[in-house]
Amino acid sequence: MRLPVAVKVGAFALVVMGTYTYYANSIPQIQSKPPAELSLEGGNVTPAQLVKAGEEIFHTKGTCEICHRIGQKGTRAPDLAGIGARAGKTKPGMSAKQYIIESLLQPGAYLVEGYPNIMPQVDKPPIALNRSEVWALTAFLESQGGNVDVTLDDIPKTAGATAGGAPAEIKIPGDPKAGEVVFSTKGACIACHKAGKIGASPVGPDLSQIAKIQTPDYIMKKILDPAGSGTVAGFPKGVMPPMFGQTLTAKEYVDLVAFLLTLK
Amino acid sequence: MVALLTLLSALPALAQDAAKEPAYRAFPLIGSRLAVWAIAQLHLNFAAFILGVPIFAVIIEIIGWRTGDAQYDWLSHEFVKLTFAAFSTTALLGALLLFLFIGYYPKFWTYMTSIFFPTYGVYAALFFAETFTVYIWYYGWDWLSGSRKWIHVSLGVLSNVFGTAILLVANSWVTFMISPAGVDESGALKGSVWAAINNFTWMPINIHRLIANIVFGGTIAAAYAAFRFLGAKTDEERARYDWMGYIGNFVALSAFIVLPFAGYYLGREIYAFNQTMGITMMGGFMSWLWIIQAILIGVLFMGSNYYLWLGMERIPGSERYRRYVPMLIGILAFGFMVWATPRSMVITLDEARAMGGTHHPVLGFLGVMSAKNTAVNMMILTTFLSFVLYRRANKVSTKPWVGTGMAIQWAALGLAAAVVIFFGVYGYFVESLVRIGFSVYQVLAVLGAIFVVMAIDIPMFKGARSTGAIRWGTIAPRSQYVLILLAVTFTWLMGLMGFARSGIRQHWHVYGIMRDNSVDAVTPAIGYAANMITVVTIAFFALVLFIFWLGGLGEKGRAEAHGHAAPVIAGGSDRRP
Repeated sequence: MRLPVAVKVGAFALVVMGTYTYYANSIPQIQSKPPAELSLEGGNVTPAQLVKAGEEIFHTKGTCEICHRIGQKGTRAPDLAGIGARAGKTKPGMSAKQYIIESLLQPGAYLVEGYPNIMPQVDKPPIALNRSEVWALTAFLESQGGNVDVTLDDIPKTAGATAGGAPAEIKIPGDPKAGEVVFSTKGACIACHKAGKIGASPVGPDLSQIAKIQTPDYIMKKILDPAGSGTVAGFPKGVMPPMFGQTLTAKEYVDLVAFLLTLK
Repeated sequence: MVALLTLLSALPALAQDAAKEPAYRAFPLIGSRLAVWAIAQLHLNFAAFILGVPIFAVIIEIIGWRTGDAQYDWLSHEFVKLTFAAFSTTALLGALLLFLFIGYYPKFWTYMTSIFFPTYGVYAALFFAETFTVYIWYYGWDWLSGSRKWIHVSLGVLSNVFGTAILLVANSWVTFMISPAGVDESGALKGSVWAAINNFTWMPINIHRLIANIVFGGTIAAAYAAFRFLGAKTDEERARYDWMGYIGNFVALSAFIVLPFAGYYLGREIYAFNQTMGITMMGGFMSWLWIIQAILIGVLFMGSNYYLWLGMERIPGSERYRRYVPMLIGILAFGFMVWATPRSMVITLDEARAMGGTHHPVLGFLGVMSAKNTAVNMMILTTFLSFVLYRRANKVSTKPWVGTGMAIQWAALGLAAAVVIFFGVYGYFVESLVRIGFSVYQVLAVLGAIFVVMAIDIPMFKGARSTGAIRWGTIAPRSQYVLILLAVTFTWLMGLMGFARSGIRQHWHVYGIMRDNSVDAVTPAIGYAANMITVVTIAFFALVLFIFWLGGLGEKGRAEAHGHAAPVIAGGSDRRP
């Protein structure tokens, strides 16, 4: 029996596409995941924790490894081995941390000889590191042969101010004033958190600038599922109560979120 | 964002109010991303076809008009018939894509509208203009014949002008998403919309897509002819579709040769816009994608050459040139292997120790751009040489200066090869920025050689003595499967490049301006993308077959559609290229 031409051609085409597909599935599979936001502000972070967080940023969200290597000369960018030790001697009058911060936020201000001016500002999109992340990354780079002495105050307040590339705008219909009352009374948030002028306890992170450093969806999720949203570095896990989804009414919940979103 | 919406949906009325204007909605079952991906790829496939084919259809019509050869007129009409049938499907898919954006990505679409609203009216006007022009072009084939043929040809040219203009407008939207311009940090338009249109990647993609559309149109038309050839009942029919397949492939190959240069231009502009994006594209998570691309392009080069060599078997006198084929195969195969060599490999620690690192001590050197640029330029030169040999297969020049002409041609090819190899080797000894500039010299050497060889070849073989007519229809049937292989491979490649173009934005709708906060913000790995590309490519060919079948129904029972008798080609004519 002779097969119809359409069947033969169709089978041939399927074999061709199947071969390409099989090959594409056989080689290394690498996804590109959206970077997570890191917040360290208000936390009691040890230098070791800071360096570890910075190392993570170096390998992931910072995309530093695309051009920089540690212990290997790059063709696009300098080797960062020992940067903590030599950063303080590179530019007269500048300490190691000042030089590193300048290199991250204004990469074109000083160019290492032999390398082009191609580095993007790390606190601007698309890398868009926030202030905490710039802090941690600076600490990590200082740790490469130098002393980690950078503090959050060393990072300019403007760093990362426009970072994040405008996450999708969310309109919360709650009343911030009513939310502040919830924060202080029924929610009892004030027992652990500071929020601007109210609250003072150091049990949980300072929320005075939470809307600036976190996304609305993170804040909303954190209230309902504290454990599932992760714990800020330097604070004990499992302290925040998980029952706000049951104890707060919908209005109270939305008011509370609206209040937290005013904290910038 | 979906997690957020889920949370909100679990809350009572007030919280639900917050979700009334969601940034995203979820498409049932497959999710919004796959829905948009599938429809966008299908729409682009059809759009490429209906924009690409008329470009060479009108050129073929002009050839037929000026030479008085009715066969070219028939062929042009056949090509336009194919696009005509696909026209409404393209529009339908475009509308569907728009609905998906509005419905499932409302905030993204609102933002795009805030920038590009003035272009919507232009797009609509061009769409109407093109539709009406193509209708008159197709249906007026007989009416505007004879002394009115110039009007008909002008309509063909005009439809291409409108079609290309539509492409430029749509490209401004998609390229803005890759390399936004004319907006401030918050994404607001700073001045004129022209700055947003004329962004870094707009013109490179315009050029790349225009050329690629011609290649794509040529390969699909050739595959259609191959399908008809394989099912032909008579020698006459076989000869006709053999010829049509040859022309389709010739068009595709001619445009394909310059496509890598357009690709370089696009890549350079991506680097110029944003180094991080460029490096992520070539050396980051997408680096393996280019190995697959190299394999696909290698298949296209090998297939195109193989088809030409098979085609030479039906040309009396081509025996003279068969001795060159093993050399050509050698260059192509070596070039293919170099191009498909990865720079570094994901391997186990033991394997890395055994090899001395993630780079192979010898083959690793072939994985860098210097080697790959050299390989692809040599493959282009080789393919061009195959075409030259095919072109002169049944011709013997009678010009007295033939010896000198041949010597200059070989010298031009040899010089181009030397320049390509020199800069390929030299590239290993200079900085990357200098090395990138070398590719320009390599490209110019190849283009220069092509120009010189053709400038000599055309007059040298004008009025040449024929060694026999091309025996159209006697080509080996496996050659037709090569044409189908080329069409399938190029369609799949288009899907892959669509994934690359979209994937380099990573978790951004509009790079650096509007972040993708949806559940689909992860850019999938190459295997997942390949599965999707294959599914959509199958759907595309199924739709194409169905549309062509529908188009054929209208012709059944009519011996001469639109008064165009199918030409008798058996025995062939050596007047054709």
